[in-house]
Amino acid sequence: MKKLLLKKEIDAFRKKAQKLEHPREMVIDLLRAIQDHFGWVPDAGVELAADILGVPPIEVEEVATFYDKIYRQKVGRYPIHICDSICCWIRGGEEIAAHLQQQLGIKLGQTTSDGLFTLLPTCCLGGCGRAPSIMVGKRFYGHLTCDGLDQIIAQLREEAVG
Amino acid sequence: MPTLTIDNQTVIVAEGGSVLDAAIALGIVVPHYCYHPALGAVGACRQCAVTILEGSQKGLKMACLIPAEDDMQVSTCEEEAVAFRAQVGEWLMTNHPHDCPVCDEGGECQLQEMTIGAGHGIRRYRGNKRTYLNQDLGPFVAQEMNRCIQCYRCVRTYKDYCGGEDFGVMGSQQRVFFGRFKDGPLESDFSGNLIDFCPTGVFTDRTNRFRTRSWDLQQAPSICPHCSLGCSILPGGRYQELQRVRAGGNRLTNDSFICDRARFGSDWNNHPKRPREARISGEKVEFPYALELLEERLEKLVEEYGGETLRLLGSPRASFEANLLLKKLAEKYGAPAPYYDAHPRRAFAARMAASIPSGQLASLKQLRESDLILLVGVDPLAEAPVLALALRQAARAGARIVALDPRPLELPCDFEHHPLTQESLLRGLSAPEENELLESLRQQLETSQRPVLVGGGELLGGEGLRLLLHFSESCCGSHDCLIFPVLHGPNSFGGGILGATGDSNRNLIEDLENGNVRALICVETDPAIEHSEPGRMQLALSRLELLAVFDHLPTNTVATADIFLPTRTIYECAGTFINNEGRMQAFDPVLEPGIPIVVTGSGGHPPRQFETTPPGSAPRSAVHLLQWLLKDRNDLFGLRRQIIKELPCLRDLDRLAAGDNGRRIADCGDTLEESRTEIWAQEGELQVLPITARYGSDLYSRWSQSLTSRFEEPSVWIHPVEAAERGFVNGQKVVLRTVVGHFHLPLVFKAKMARGRLIVPCLPGTPLEVFTPGGLSLPCKIYSEVDNA
Amino acid sequence: MSSTPQLLFKNRIPGKTAFLKEYCKTGGYSALVKALKTMSPAEIVQLVKSSGLRGRGGAGFSTGLKWSFFPSDKPAPKYLVCNCDEMEPGTYKDGELLAADPHQLVEGMVLSAYALNVDEGYIFIRYAYEGQFKNLQKAVAEAKKAGYLGKNILGSGFDFELHLHGSAGRYILGEETALLNGLEGKRPNPRIKPPFPAERGLFGRPTTVNNVETLANIPHIINGGSEWFKGLARNPEGAGTKLFGLSGHLNVTECFELPVGIPLSEIVEVYGGGVWKSRKFKACLPGGASTPYLTAEHMDIPLDFDTLAAVGSRFGTAGVTVFDDKTCMVAVTLNLLQFFARESCGWCTPCRDGLPLVCWLLEKIEKGQGTMGDLEMLKEQYRHIGGRSFCALAEGAMGPLDGLMRLFEQEVIDHIEKGHCPF
Ligand SMILES: Cc1cc2nc3c(=O)[nH]c(=O)nc-3n(C[C@H](O)[C@H](O)[C@H](O)COP(=O)(O)O)c2cc1C
Ligand code: SF4
Ligand code: SF4
Ligand code: FES
Repeated sequence: MKKLLLKKEIDAFRKKAQKLEHPREMVIDLLRAIQDHFGWVPDAGVELAADILGVPPIEVEEVATFYDKIYRQKVGRYPIHICDSICCWIRGGEEIAAHLQQQLGIKLGQTTSDGLFTLLPTCCLGGCGRAPSIMVGKRFYGHLTCDGLDQIIAQLREEAVG
Repeated sequence: MPTLTIDNQTVIVAEGGSVLDAAIALGIVVPHYCYHPALGAVGACRQCAVTILEGSQKGLKMACLIPAEDDMQVSTCEEEAVAFRAQVGEWLMTNHPHDCPVCDEGGECQLQEMTIGAGHGIRRYRGNKRTYLNQDLGPFVAQEMNRCIQCYRCVRTYKDYCGGEDFGVMGSQQRVFFGRFKDGPLESDFSGNLIDFCPTGVFTDRTNRFRTRSWDLQQAPSICPHCSLGCSILPGGRYQELQRVRAGGNRLTNDSFICDRARFGSDWNNHPKRPREARISGEKVEFPYALELLEERLEKLVEEYGGETLRLLGSPRASFEANLLLKKLAEKYGAPAPYYDAHPRRAFAARMAASIPSGQLASLKQLRESDLILLVGVDPLAEAPVLALALRQAARAGARIVALDPRPLELPCDFEHHPLTQESLLRGLSAPEENELLESLRQQLETSQRPVLVGGGELLGGEGLRLLLHFSESCCGSHDCLIFPVLHGPNSFGGGILGATGDSNRNLIEDLENGNVRALICVETDPAIEHSEPGRMQLALSRLELLAVFDHLPTNTVATADIFLPTRTIYECAGTFINNEGRMQAFDPVLEPGIPIVVTGSGGHPPRQFETTPPGSAPRSAVHLLQWLLKDRNDLFGLRRQIIKELPCLRDLDRLAAGDNGRRIADCGDTLEESRTEIWAQEGELQVLPITARYGSDLYSRWSQSLTSRFEEPSVWIHPVEAAERGFVNGQKVVLRTVVGHFHLPLVFKAKMARGRLIVPCLPGTPLEVFTPGGLSLPCKIYSEVDNA
Repeated sequence: MSSTPQLLFKNRIPGKTAFLKEYCKTGGYSALVKALKTMSPAEIVQLVKSSGLRGRGGAGFSTGLKWSFFPSDKPAPKYLVCNCDEMEPGTYKDGELLAADPHQLVEGMVLSAYALNVDEGYIFIRYAYEGQFKNLQKAVAEAKKAGYLGKNILGSGFDFELHLHGSAGRYILGEETALLNGLEGKRPNPRIKPPFPAERGLFGRPTTVNNVETLANIPHIINGGSEWFKGLARNPEGAGTKLFGLSGHLNVTECFELPVGIPLSEIVEVYGGGVWKSRKFKACLPGGASTPYLTAEHMDIPLDFDTLAAVGSRFGTAGVTVFDDKTCMVAVTLNLLQFFARESCGWCTPCRDGLPLVCWLLEKIEKGQGTMGDLEMLKEQYRHIGGRSFCALAEGAMGPLDGLMRLFEQEVIDHIEKGHCPF
């Protein structure tokens, strides 16, 4: 089983929590760290964060479920955020989304059976000048075409194997 | 105090009041959801729009957010505001399931009322509705999230006001969800307030699901009988069954909140074993016959052996009127004055509290407004739960809370805990100037603005309360240091007023064992439960020639009584309780007494009741029974007038009305100058302290089936260091030997309790029920089960 | 083409980031040295006030005026927070700035903190700006090492600690009080005002929140003076340059530093290289998703706060999104409203429940299933949501709806009458 967070990271967070006057300010840092390490934030991740911050789990859950880039459900190794806001949408965002769904054989919100990709619609990624765009994990890709997308998917598949 | 005009009506509101408060005061309906007087305004629902015509901010505004100003002109009728309110109504209803016909809230739903008040009628939205999966929140509260209008009142009630830590709001946009992190029973002792505060049917009373439409309920304002605080409640029932309890409103006591024990612990009233027929030596008889026989036997006994041989026992459960009539009965027969608590130490605590000058007693409201509260020997969540809520409100407003108590206290707020043993507390109070901690606390109390001392009668006893009173006098700086005594039952204070002078060292059991007592009348109490040595009491009772019991609970003593007369419960008659701060509060009958029809009928409709008893044998109130014996023909009002004549300190008794804020007694006389002999154990000897459990050991909970899920498992508690010194491990089975018996129990470590002591919670229905709280700690020995063998 | 003096973008080289060395080469941190040696905090506040700098986060409030309300004399801690949430569709200028030249923000923050007598600062960065986050991490470390940040900055006795906070998505965090809740680790619903952040902000302490670009302008104002800064604008009321993020149906969709007051025509024709596919200009969002549309008739209006307000729109963040003449404005408005509905924090009714209702109506109309009653209802929604929500998010959502109904009502009616989308 993959760990939620490395022991030394947990220790570092605990140490910092003791030092801070308002340890709760670390909640997003913690959730992001767990997500970076584990791929998403399971219930146990919320509980771990709560324990480190010294608050009940619901207080972490209240925050975790607010943000859309904290995954409270299992996602694939490469969560693909497809921008559907205005600048991408008027420059072919919908085709990008359709192409990805077709190529991966999944709908928005679903994960491929090999556990590699999850398709998630997202609001503006701040790449309005490079529309249409997507973000894979935290990697940004702009000026997309269907061909370009195929290449990206192929690269990611390769990366996953390698 | 600003004076403003709304819809051409002028009103004066309190400083800091809002335009919405002003409208409410005028009786003008401005629909609103997120605002609640106890929770304040947050401006989320946007339902309360009005138009400010004159004022520092003009135009369409949220009434709850605009402070009332002098000379302000407000209209609730401007077209734009009217249209906007209707629009908010439509928005809130877009996803509502329209399932009112199957919703328990129906008929008393604020959403129904205010949607109509807002002028929204027909939903134009035809799209899909957002739906939710509900959570299982345990046996008390049912959740139906689809009805939610996102007013955020529930989180503000459960989390902010009550300090619950397992409930919150999740998600965002149109998909916010109010619930727990995971399914599971709500952990707060105040979870039921969700039901009252949710304006719609998201949170409803699971113990009363699908049983009654609100308009079919019989309801009447009443007082909670579970502890001494006297919180105002609104019980409801029908078909002779008490079905639910909601919080009443009394801003001087519980405000709008009650604890779960009060809300879900009322089904003792419908207990299937509740004794409802008169009995002689266990045989059912007709009511008048039993009553006449009692009178006859009493008269004969008094004639033959003198009034000295008769003893009367009142109780903290019985109304003030009943307890007073008992005193008259004693006078009539020349018997010694009645006891008002079978537990001698508790009785003395009540008398001591009742002698504190009325002006020195704090109300819960004053506690909420205090800036420094010192808790001495009191566990609020066990002895007086709503006290814990008041402490939290004080703490939220910045008050410091300090607790001196041997128990591993928990409170829904930050506090400082010094786990002192009962004896060191009492010794400390007897010479506070020599005690460093108390001396430093005294100085802090002296310099604070609104200090209050909370004293637990259970742990401190009357002696301790007296010492606390002296201590409080030494704490009065520029401001008085008020006292808030916590007592045993809803009318302990009343019993304290009636208690005879000079009997501080009287002990019912010794009277029974030593003397020539031949007869005892118990009114709504079971001495074998309430006395500190239940076994010994049982034996003493069995030797009586005549044991007469008036009660409504299925106690052992009822079963063994020579003459038993069933009484009505607080929900079936009117009367008065006097709470721990000397507040007289009236309650009205909710139901007729009688077997709930659900018990007799087979569930068919219409429900039918088949009488199993002769006509005329329905329970009567204890007051009624005593009046019969006294040949007193006063009605309740007449009786109260008569009481005032004899006890001028109760001068407002005849002005009480159920549902009002109650009235404080006036000073009853001088502070009690008696004392009770107590020998306090030395530190160093291992002693066991019996305590009140959070659920089960108050006067009524043990007969409440709904509460049993909250009863804890029997165990004996120890400080981990203490345990380590004796080589015990957490969870280990041990044998505890005491004067009341020996017990096999798991040992549970509690890091926050006092050292040098063991603690056992008194748990009904388990061997631990003999550990009646209210006394001093008992000598004991403890072995591991293996060693013992 | 670009004769505009480049302040914010002077070190910008596509694909590269200027760090300390490059930054200092073109005069970086000279403003800090100057200010700490020769200027009092009050002088800086006064200078910024007279420079005419207006908040670049969208609202356009005078930065100097806002600072002058700050209770600098209150005891520490006090906070300066930089808002780099930048999640409003069409807006990407702060991201460009931080990708090119992160030290500007650091210097601007130290200067602002000095001016406000603040000892602790936060930079709040959106999730998607991972690269910018790393740039700032490096810049902060460099600045610390060079003595521009931390204790006793440049021997002046002034201390300033700067923390970075990476967010996790959600537009509402750009609203300053929601942002403060987010920083505190609470649910990021906006807070009730008053009290304003200057009085009770982060952790209940006096706080000022400013946009990245606003803060990055401070070193230039200190170096160049207020008159020079004012003179940068094309229009007499304007001041300074502005980062214009171009997007939509233009041939060139990049971010340019251009003078405030530049007309829309120049943006479209000169910098945007004209409308793509040789089509015609139909409309644009002049300053992000929340600003009402401009049309061809607005081509000559100088782009600035007051000039755009005068024609019923807003300068916002100067993220210009252009729509060509084949674009359905109902569909565009629907897309924009869907964004706002999805990003609602869920606190107040007009936004949480009102915006989805607007989306439902627009969707119906777009699909050709709308009625004239729906148009009436849409107008009602506009009237009731605008100005009546708890924070400005729902207010912003009314921008495009207002534009649609004011400028393109006939297009809506066409949908209804034809029973399908005419595009
Ligand atoms: C919904 C909403 C989103 C906002 N997003 C941003 C943002 O991403 N960046 C920003 O600087 N200001 C944003 N603002 C404006 C801020 O609340 C605030 O006015 C600004 O940060 C102040 O900085 P300035 O005076 O330097 O512009 C937003 C406001 C609202 C209501
Ligand atoms: S559950 Fe009830 S109290 Fe809570 S937000 Fe919904 S309607 Fe309001
Ligand atoms: S307008 Fe209301 S619901 Fe929308 S983001 Fe602001 S506070 Fe939240
Ligand atoms: S009661 Fe005023 S906004 Fe909810």
